[in-house]
Amino acid sequence: MSHMANPLATPDQLYKRRSFSSLPTELQDAIFFSAQCLTQAAGVLLQLPQSATAQANVVLARYWLVEPFMSREFSDVSAAALYLIAKVGPSPRSPRDISNVYAYLLSPSSSFFRPPTSPPPANDPSAYYLSDAAYQTFHNRVLAIEARILYALSFNTHVSLPHSLAITYLQALDFLGARKETVSKRVVEHLNTALLSPQMLYLTSQPNALAVAAIYNAAKDLGAKMPECEWWEVFDVDREELGFLVVGMRSVDGWARKMREDVPGMKEGMVTRRMIEDEMRKRGLQIGNGHGVEEESLDAEAELARKMDEKIAQMEADA
Amino acid sequence: MAGTAKSRWANNEDDAAQEAQLKKEREEKKRLKAEKARKAEAERQAREAQTQANVARTAQPRDEDEDDRGSGPPAKRRRLSPERETRSPAPAAAEQDSGAASTKLLRFEGGAFGRCRSVESYDKLNDIEEGAYGWVARAREIATGRVVALKRLKIDPKDRGGLPVTGLREIQILKDCDHRNVVELREVVVSEDTSKIESIFLVLEFVEHDLNSILEDMPEAFLASEVKTLLLQLASGVAYLHDNCILHRDLKTSNLLLNNRGQLKIADFGMARYVGDPPPPKLTQLVVTLWYRAPELLLGATRYTTAIDLWSVGCIFGELLTREPLLQGKNEVDELTRIFALCGLPSDETWPGFRRLPNARALRLPPPTPSSSGSAIRARFPLLTAAGAGLLSSLLALDPERRPTAREMLAHEYFAQDPKPKQEAMFPTFPSKAGQERRRRKQTPLAPPRGGQVVELGAVDFSGIFSGRDKEERGGGFSLRMV
Repeated sequence: MSHMANPLATPDQLYKRRSFSSLPTELQDAIFFSAQCLTQAAGVLLQLPQSATAQANVVLARYWLVEPFMSREFSDVSAAALYLIAKVGPSPRSPRDISNVYAYLLSPSSSFFRPPTSPPPANDPSAYYLSDAAYQTFHNRVLAIEARILYALSFNTHVSLPHSLAITYLQALDFLGARKETVSKRVVEHLNTALLSPQMLYLTSQPNALAVAAIYNAAKDLGAKMPECEWWEVFDVDREELGFLVVGMRSVDGWARKMREDVPGMKEGMVTRRMIEDEMRKRGLQIGNGHGVEEESLDAEAELARKMDEKIAQMEADA
Repeated sequence: MAGTAKSRWANNEDDAAQEAQLKKEREEKKRLKAEKARKAEAERQAREAQTQANVARTAQPRDEDEDDRGSGPPAKRRRLSPERETRSPAPAAAEQDSGAASTKLLRFEGGAFGRCRSVESYDKLNDIEEGAYGWVARAREIATGRVVALKRLKIDPKDRGGLPVTGLREIQILKDCDHRNVVELREVVVSEDTSKIESIFLVLEFVEHDLNSILEDMPEAFLASEVKTLLLQLASGVAYLHDNCILHRDLKTSNLLLNNRGQLKIADFGMARYVGDPPPPKLTQLVVTLWYRAPELLLGATRYTTAIDLWSVGCIFGELLTREPLLQGKNEVDELTRIFALCGLPSDETWPGFRRLPNARALRLPPPTPSSSGSAIRARFPLLTAAGAGLLSSLLALDPERRPTAREMLAHEYFAQDPKPKQEAMFPTFPSKAGQERRRRKQTPLAPPRGGQVVELGAVDFSGIFSGRDKEERGGGFSLRMV
């Protein structure tokens, strides 16, 4: 059965994330979304199968329900999750490859997270050249976070993806009478989009429900005919969960467009901790326990991370 | 795909006809069901509307509560989807009330995720083993008093690849496994200081013995009935693993644990991995301890199947009978020599296509003679019944295709013949090295230790205690040869 089920987020974890984080919800969502996109982009450049990248997405989402966002640089966590999943899976990637890809994606030469309308940035190899020292420090950070991820998830890296399940369901449904390629593609697109949803659909629903919701959405998109009965029950999904997921999956696109307009800094490449801190200051919000963040040194960041950890730990102890 | 080759899902006329028929039937059923459902639906919608109205009424104030972070417990209403869990029973119940659409949905439980506990929740009792595998100790969980085995994951700080992939695979596979013949991983714990994760411990169920040390210390071999019990348990554990797409890749007697209730547990999944069907093309051939390594691995196959585990099972079978590892090669070549001496030389008949394996091209075999091509297993185990020898020869078939699967092995007639497999609870007990019991104490039973734990017998069925008695072997000095 383990191939059909995932460990899910507990209500408590979701509640804490929403209510006790010092970050406003929209910034949390922006971090989540951009890191998931970054992971996907890196997976493509590393030529990892989507099954591996998608698992890394899910592991990343789980990690951030246990550990605070601001304790590590977002792109480092993304790299560590991808490295870890690739390593335990059938297609490992070397730390060197990973660091090169991330250096490129985070450099001004990549078009990652820039408005699609703007012209592609000039390619400047020196911008993403990684010196040996820089590589070593990046590598060290990734290894430390790798262990941290495993610790935070009790070493459970198991992720069951709904993709293959969805194809099996489609076969059972005779591909809804549509062209196999078209409908399958649309289903997979919905499933991949759902990975990016800040509603963390993969942490709140089991693969069978995700698969059915993606099929439902694809059928609506293509105008394909679905069985007239409550066919989702055949796949053990109830109407209410289906409804929730259908809306959740459909909303990602519009939400992401709006967020990229509304949240400043979303047009300048990957979101960083520095950007979040600046934004917080601009809003007159404070990070940490009543101390403003004035210093901009790395030490201050580390200090901050420590404080956040303490605060979370405290809250966990209290709860 | 080539133009002519058809996808296995592609339709032809026959399919179409059949499908049309099926479709008609399906639609008939669907209509009936839909009609039923519609009635139920109408009823349900009425109820749902009502409950939703209720929910809507109560939701608003609660949402505000949440925003100003009220002091109350966080449970009742959450903004994210888990709220379904609390609300879904309502419509489900309504559905059941209506009686018509009594759908019972399967629920998938995957548990939750969260941080590891600290190793400080355990109290170390004694070291069990320190060696190539790393460090293993017996320990007691402070909160419950339960005795467990702590296995420390070997981490090389100089390894720039991070945590060892074998250790991570072992953890993942054991976490996914749940079978009485596979050792249970209770949790993974880390050292107290979590700022840097350096020590990782697997908390495993404590099992008193490993089969290898029992075999070494035994004054006499296992009875045929005991061998059968052990083999059945081994096969059922291996069948479970293979059913779940797991290759163990290091089955040997020192990785098989035996508790004092006669239960065998497969342990040490450091070599194990998930494989699909068909298996991926480039698996490492450097697996399985030499003495238990299948000939296709020795000949350099990188595409191998679950049959390599069955070869190891065959070697273990032989070892259980004689208390000696069956094929103790000094190196790969010597191992192959011993295999061919026991199982006969490979030929295109006994092992079609073996010449295509990487190391077999240069293999120079003596010309086949009647004596060298046949298997010597029957002669080497004269006390084994014909069925037993048949099973052993099939497990040790050179051609992996000819080895039985673990499931087929479970159904082999060897286990149905007399002597019947011994009941696990009737198994002899042994002094446990891991539990620090001395061997010389064996002569006289000890009085129960002060403050010791009552021995748990578990679920024991005594109903058959004397039923097969007369058919059982007597043991001691000789074995019966059943013809």
